[in-house]
Amino acid sequence: MPQREEHEEFLHATMGAMDLVYNLARRFTNRSEDTEDLVQETYLAAYRAWKEQRRPRRVEPWIGTICLNLGRSRYRTRTRRPVEVSIEDRDFRAPEIGDPEAAAEAAMDRQALYEAMERLPEEQRVAITLVDLGGLSTAEAACAMGTPRGTVLSRLHRGRRGLAALLWAEVRGVEER
Amino acid sequence: MRTWLMNRRHDPERNAAEYVSGELTARARRWFERHILECDDCWREVLLGRFGRRMAEDAREPVPPGLRDRVRAAISLSAD
Repeated sequence: MPQREEHEEFLHATMGAMDLVYNLARRFTNRSEDTEDLVQETYLAAYRAWKEQRRPRRVEPWIGTICLNLGRSRYRTRTRRPVEVSIEDRDFRAPEIGDPEAAAEAAMDRQALYEAMERLPEEQRVAITLVDLGGLSTAEAACAMGTPRGTVLSRLHRGRRGLAALLWAEVRGVEER
Repeated sequence: MRTWLMNRRHDPERNAAEYVSGELTARARRWFERHILECDDCWREVLLGRFGRRMAEDAREPVPPGLRDRVRAAISLSAD
């Protein structure tokens, strides 16, 4: 296949996955420049594989795995992130408000949401990004993360629960102020 | 259908994760929906899981303007 055609075919097949790649890259980086660099590196690595005829059945899990591997090896930023909090001992009782979801949505802004996501342990953030944002099945996410599906289910649920707990804590904080 | 739950540990976390992710089969889902009406642990985990999932979906960050063009340009350069 002529190079031009191959490169157009690659872009056509993969550009739709940029939303997933970008959000996944955000899980490893704090600075926007680093995030964009990681996205670009991911696409270049994917294109090299594509040229070697390594074509995926589904693009999202494939390019997500490439981004994960690059992110883990080059952009692991644990030391620059806020301290991750253990959610195991948090209070998960429903808050004493009529409609917790509506109250939470009204009280927090998007920044609080991003910050809550940042405070989850990395593996939970990644599981949530792959499944809830990227639309991968938990089996595909398990493949991408190199872990059993049961582990992904556990990380996914703990991540979701952690987000809920952190945001309810935010709401309680807002109410007390 | 009760065998679906009997064949596995009663694991509210795992059950809720599969249910909220839409990964239970139709039969298992119907059984689980009846089960959570009687099981406070599973019900609580489903509520937390649903809320967390909605929050996770809302945490999606838009791709910055210009990044798609930057990546296209980088691929074009590497193709030449």
